[in-house]
Amino acid sequence: MNLADIAIPQGLWDTGKTPEGVVANWFYREGSTVPAGATVAEIMVEKTNYEIAAPTAGTLHVLISKDGVVRPGSVIGRIS
Amino acid sequence: MSSNRILTVSRAMAEAIAQEMRTDPTVFVMGEDIGAYGGIFGATQGLLGEFGPERVRDTPISETAFIGAGVGAAMAGMRPIVELMFVDFFGVCMDAIYNLAAKNVYFSGGNCKVPMVLMTATGGGYCDAGQHSQTLHATFAHLPGMKVVAPSNAYDAKGLMISAIRDNSPTLYMFHKGLQGLAWMASPDGAAVIVPEEAYTLPLGQANVVRKGKDVTIVTLSMMVHHALAAAAALEKSGIDAEVIDLRTLVPLDRDTVFKSVAKTGRLIVVDEDYTSFGLTAEILASVVERDPSVLKAKPKRLAYPDIPIPYSRVMEQFALPNAAKIEAAVRETLNLKKAA
Repeated sequence: MNLADIAIPQGLWDTGKTPEGVVANWFYREGSTVPAGATVAEIMVEKTNYEIAAPTAGTLHVLISKDGVVRPGSVIGRIS
Repeated sequence: MSSNRILTVSRAMAEAIAQEMRTDPTVFVMGEDIGAYGGIFGATQGLLGEFGPERVRDTPISETAFIGAGVGAAMAGMRPIVELMFVDFFGVCMDAIYNLAAKNVYFSGGNCKVPMVLMTATGGGYCDAGQHSQTLHATFAHLPGMKVVAPSNAYDAKGLMISAIRDNSPTLYMFHKGLQGLAWMASPDGAAVIVPEEAYTLPLGQANVVRKGKDVTIVTLSMMVHHALAAAAALEKSGIDAEVIDLRTLVPLDRDTVFKSVAKTGRLIVVDEDYTSFGLTAEILASVVERDPSVLKAKPKRLAYPDIPIPYSRVMEQFALPNAAKIEAAVRETLNLKKAA
């Protein structure tokens, strides 16, 4: 079974100014099949939204749910 | 093209607009902060990048000018989508809305249609006080010449937007800020739902029975649909089976669906976030009792915003807003039941 982390990319925002963001939305439910490259979540940092894409196709597992606090590098979910 | 993809209401609106812009070169968007910012409630995000500033036009803060321009463009053959940032701002541009957009088709003997969508943000609950929190459903539904829609979820938001764009009448598209799925404003779980990727329409003027029941009919729309569903879920624990109708469209109004439901249940509660007096709630009551008052087994009940300007204080605003607990209490009252134990 292939596993791929859905991680917040490093350098996505200036953490010197704002260290943390939140998971604003998940666009697939836990256990859904997602295509590679699909926008699976969005992160909000001070009213700016960043889309997070599925690194590969597969089944989505949500690790940090909506409203959870994240930083660059945080693994918010996994694709199996 | 099946999909299990969930969209927020704001993304569903933006997707609907983008799909229509791809297939119809006469569709364009105008308004304050709808370009680079993507709309302050996210309804136009991504459009400027795909379609450019000719078709996605940021305007100065002059609603009178740009809504008037939208009417003119529509009469000249375009299909403009114009955003009035907050519905509360209608005061400065009402002439363009109700004297121009709504009436020009009549004044021209049917020769000049006005296929414009005027989308506007409604609703409170987030401490933005009396000039940024109203819904004003009835203000616009009262004035003849315009269609008026107010979706409660992303599926309806997309279908109603596409219908509104393709419709030849001016259509007021009233979206509730608290349903948009923005990270800085909490939205109920049922607002973001699975939305088909392809373009689709929903009929304007067709209500949706979102929960079937036999004991009482709750008629509502927009944000209050979610409060009504929460109330219905709570009532179910006491063995009360509530039917919930989401009107989705105010004009044309689906009086038949409401009447059929009340004829079945015999009890009617109408819930609206707009002001109580002279409002949507009274219109729904009238449409039932004018047709046949004998279907009612109990006094019908209105539950809407009190006739006061919306307060800034969180405590005061929440006290005044309709909510699930108030809906539940109204249902128990109409069924002659005491409060839940």
